[in-house]
Amino acid sequence: MDSALPDHRPDHRRDYGNRRDNGGRRNYNNHGGGGGGGGRGGGNNRKRRSREDDDEERPQRKNHRYEEPIASQLRRSILAISEQPATVIDSAKRLGKQIADNFADDQVNGPLLDTVLELICEQPLKIPHVSAVILYANDVNGAVTAEIITRSQERIQDAVHEGNWREFKLLMRFYACLQGVFEGDGVFPLFDELFDRAADQQTASPEDVVGLELIKIILLTLPYAMASSATNLDAKARELLEKTDIIASVQHPLEHLSESYPIEGDGRPFGFQSALNLLQQQLVTEAETGWKLACIPRVYVPTTSVKDEGDTDAMAGLEITVTKHEFPVITIPSPVHTGTRPLYPEAYFTIYGDQEIESVPRSSDIAASLIRDATVDTINILDFNRHAVAKFLIELDCFFAPGTFVPRSTGFDKLKDVPEGETTWKTEDMAIDAMFSQMLRLPSAEHKLVYYHAVITEACKLAPGAIAPTLGRAIRFLYRHVDYMDLEPAYRFLDWFTHHLSNFDFRWKWTEWTEDVDASPVNPKHAFILGAIDKEIRLSFTKRIRETLPPDYHKLIAEGKLKDTPDFKYSNESTPYSVEGRQIHSMLRKKVPETEIQVIIDIIQKQATEQGVNEPLIPSTDAYMTAVCYIGSKSLSHVLSCIDRCKERLLVIGAQSEAARRQIIQSVVDYWKDLPGTAVNIVDKLLNFTIVTPESVVQWCLGQASLGSGAPLADTWRFEMVAATMGKITNRMRQIVAARVQALRMDAPAEQVAMLDDTIAKERESMRALFGLIQDLLAPYTDSSGNTLMEDAGASSSEDVEFVKAWAYRWSMVFSRKAAVEETVASDGALQITLANAKLEMEREAVRRKKADEERAKRRAAAEERRKVEEEERVKKEAEEEEERQKLAASNGNGAANGGADQDQLDEADDVDI
Amino acid sequence: MSLAYSYSTSTVDRLDKASSYIASKRRPRRDERDGEERPPTPEVEDKLRDATTLYVGNLHGLISQSFYTTEEQIHELFSKCGEIKRLVMGLDRFQKTPCGFCFVEYYNHQDALDCMKYVGGTKLDERIIRTDLDEGFVEGRQYGRGKSGGQVRDEYREEYDPGRGGYGRVYEETSGPKY
Repeated sequence: MDSALPDHRPDHRRDYGNRRDNGGRRNYNNHGGGGGGGGRGGGNNRKRRSREDDDEERPQRKNHRYEEPIASQLRRSILAISEQPATVIDSAKRLGKQIADNFADDQVNGPLLDTVLELICEQPLKIPHVSAVILYANDVNGAVTAEIITRSQERIQDAVHEGNWREFKLLMRFYACLQGVFEGDGVFPLFDELFDRAADQQTASPEDVVGLELIKIILLTLPYAMASSATNLDAKARELLEKTDIIASVQHPLEHLSESYPIEGDGRPFGFQSALNLLQQQLVTEAETGWKLACIPRVYVPTTSVKDEGDTDAMAGLEITVTKHEFPVITIPSPVHTGTRPLYPEAYFTIYGDQEIESVPRSSDIAASLIRDATVDTINILDFNRHAVAKFLIELDCFFAPGTFVPRSTGFDKLKDVPEGETTWKTEDMAIDAMFSQMLRLPSAEHKLVYYHAVITEACKLAPGAIAPTLGRAIRFLYRHVDYMDLEPAYRFLDWFTHHLSNFDFRWKWTEWTEDVDASPVNPKHAFILGAIDKEIRLSFTKRIRETLPPDYHKLIAEGKLKDTPDFKYSNESTPYSVEGRQIHSMLRKKVPETEIQVIIDIIQKQATEQGVNEPLIPSTDAYMTAVCYIGSKSLSHVLSCIDRCKERLLVIGAQSEAARRQIIQSVVDYWKDLPGTAVNIVDKLLNFTIVTPESVVQWCLGQASLGSGAPLADTWRFEMVAATMGKITNRMRQIVAARVQALRMDAPAEQVAMLDDTIAKERESMRALFGLIQDLLAPYTDSSGNTLMEDAGASSSEDVEFVKAWAYRWSMVFSRKAAVEETVASDGALQITLANAKLEMEREAVRRKKADEERAKRRAAAEERRKVEEEERVKKEAEEEEERQKLAASNGNGAANGGADQDQLDEADDVDI
Repeated sequence: MSLAYSYSTSTVDRLDKASSYIASKRRPRRDERDGEERPPTPEVEDKLRDATTLYVGNLHGLISQSFYTTEEQIHELFSKCGEIKRLVMGLDRFQKTPCGFCFVEYYNHQDALDCMKYVGGTKLDERIIRTDLDEGFVEGRQYGRGKSGGQVRDEYREEYDPGRGGYGRVYEETSGPKY
């Protein structure tokens, strides 16, 4: 039935979909069974079952029991490899032998090997184990290895031409594990070629990142070759490490784009740590200590030694010669494809690193990089099944050498009792560290952030006892250092934290943070608490969240948050223009024509002019927009349909002046001041209607009129509003760039390309202008001269002034980074690189297409040949039959009486057959 | 920019496939209520190929209880997968009150798939919600198809579910199931 869903269903009620066709199966007579096909006896179930039974029983009557084909048995076993660490060597050996023995089966020598490659590319944690299976197979039958090398060559070549560097890395790792069965130097010549290409890239441009990526691939592949069955590689490795040091240890000009903790100070946990540089240092250390590489599992034990141990048939001294293979030919184009996703210098992010008791490997240990890399790839590759990812994370110890980790769910406080010299690494810490490194990765995470939320939720559901305490320590670490964190990851942390709590009854030990409840509103920790409560409420409702908080926190929840519908300020007589405001509201409700509303608007504007208001459009717009909000307060769809109905007037107002556009935003934010999330949504929709412009949103959010002393820079929702607005702009920019690439692929006419280039140039200019505007608006708050501004505006203490400055600095960092990142996508230079990438991809596609055509032609020719042979046979057979008939006809005269009896006998025979 | 070229099937199941409910709509089947043949819809698979709409089920519904999951709450969670184009609340046919399901429409197909992968089966408003790819919202589908106006499933539910009005309505009315 539900094959798309995995087995673990914490809430079985969720199965009860409104599927009328099979509802009877599960719902009735199977109380709380939670699936499992036990529900016999529902109305339409019986019929279906009897049909199924028929299917099952018919072959049994013939006495042929169904036997699973060997290929699918092997497929199942190889997918499950490394799930039983205790017996993994035996099962890898057995599997390898089975593959070798059954290699004549065309389901084994083709599709099964493709599964192996798929496994390598999708479940990198299993590469050492899968490689061992192939090595064991090679001991018996070299054809297995030859075939998988051929198949993988094609795949790795695709990866190179498509810039799929991750897949390239994983296939390289597979080759490194096979190092022992390659002729000559195996992977090493390719390392040299990759290095040369990286050096070319780096020389061509100092901002190049793909060069770093290539070096990273070399360095992450090398240890697997060193841990393989191959020997005498030390000198080569040392030589390689000397070369890579030049690129790996150089500071990169784009490093700051990935820095999580840019704020200097005593509480800053760490600055930028280049993951590549760390890796280089770790390998140098490892080389000095004789390449122990303790965490890599050694699943392949060369046959001779295995024979010595157990196999009594082995004759002492009998050397089994391993079949060797040529290393596949892989061409690396120059310049190389710069990657399917834009690359940036990689920072090493760790929450648990360098604690007093090591719960994860120290950053000087190669295990830190090796385990992290395989874990991170698993997380990012398998985003289509978070349940599987969560399971891998919890069972991380299965994939590394025995003794790498302490037993699962060992508490952090128990680590100090671990005897000297034994490991203290916790799988949970390792896994969660990797998760956060991806969720908080700068400049952007690979997947939508909610994916990482979902994996953590799943892991926490699978093993709450093990994961929850680890998460608790992560939350405390991130909260403790939130002042030093870049605003973007800090926001992501907030978003995750609240979403996570919403999946677990909103339970958190809030009392730990009580001292920050009374801190200044511009204190980042206080702002975090406020933002968290607001976000929790958005996912739930105020009353519910209030009951989950300790009483000390209740004062943080404004009275207005408890109301479903915010008050309409014009209902209060003392509000200026209250009569007119109410009139507009009732007219809008009755849907009277706009001309009648205009009369009231004129009245407001007249009054305003008389009172000396500069822009009379402002109070009238306020009354109109506030009424729209009030009418739409019932739900998002209500406000949308109301805006839609009133959009003509709003468009006219918006077009009249910048001040009017800002007033529209002001009215929305004022109306929803207690539930600002709704205001953010409405402003977002107003942008879609083009009633307000991105400039006006930025102006309103960061203009002095609304920032005042700068304290509002601490508002989470304000950051959301600006980030969402800029997100629209950059998305559009990227869409146009994608269209330009598409034009190249489609070989579009020159004038269309010119038009696109023109649009890119224009959009890019306005995008740059907008990013510039943000910096201009923030400048008075980041400048030291801005102090007076803040003091003038009534900032309460010098500490607060410092806080505001830090906020402004953090805002400025985020948007200058975003601007820089967009340049790596939309600048002329970047565009040229993207187009060059597309050309490489097209070349490869052409090769592939040609090959596919050839294969098709070959298949067609073969089919034609077959058809011809069949046709000939048929003709021959017909001729024979004809001859037979004629003979029969000739003899028919005398044998007619016997014919009937023969026929009866034939019928009987038929019966027996059936 | 990724190329539509796959070597073989995944080694792990995908969560962004349509459920068996959608697949079952392709088969002609007999409607239990009036015995009419339901015409098959063979093009469903094609429609789902670029589906941007999701059916979302198992929300809090205002059945005989005090509160329901609001549009704002749904928006807050589902916009984590992409910008939402339209959100249509499922309503009780007679009361016109939210009855525990909705349709969420995105601008992009990928966002809908991501939602299947990342949001389906997680909690919203403290209930585990269900998502399914949908061929697209059509006016009229927002109303519950159950006899009493709500969702059919709520009428036959045997368990007590306080978020959805206690026991199924059929069971409230009589003691045994009415097929």
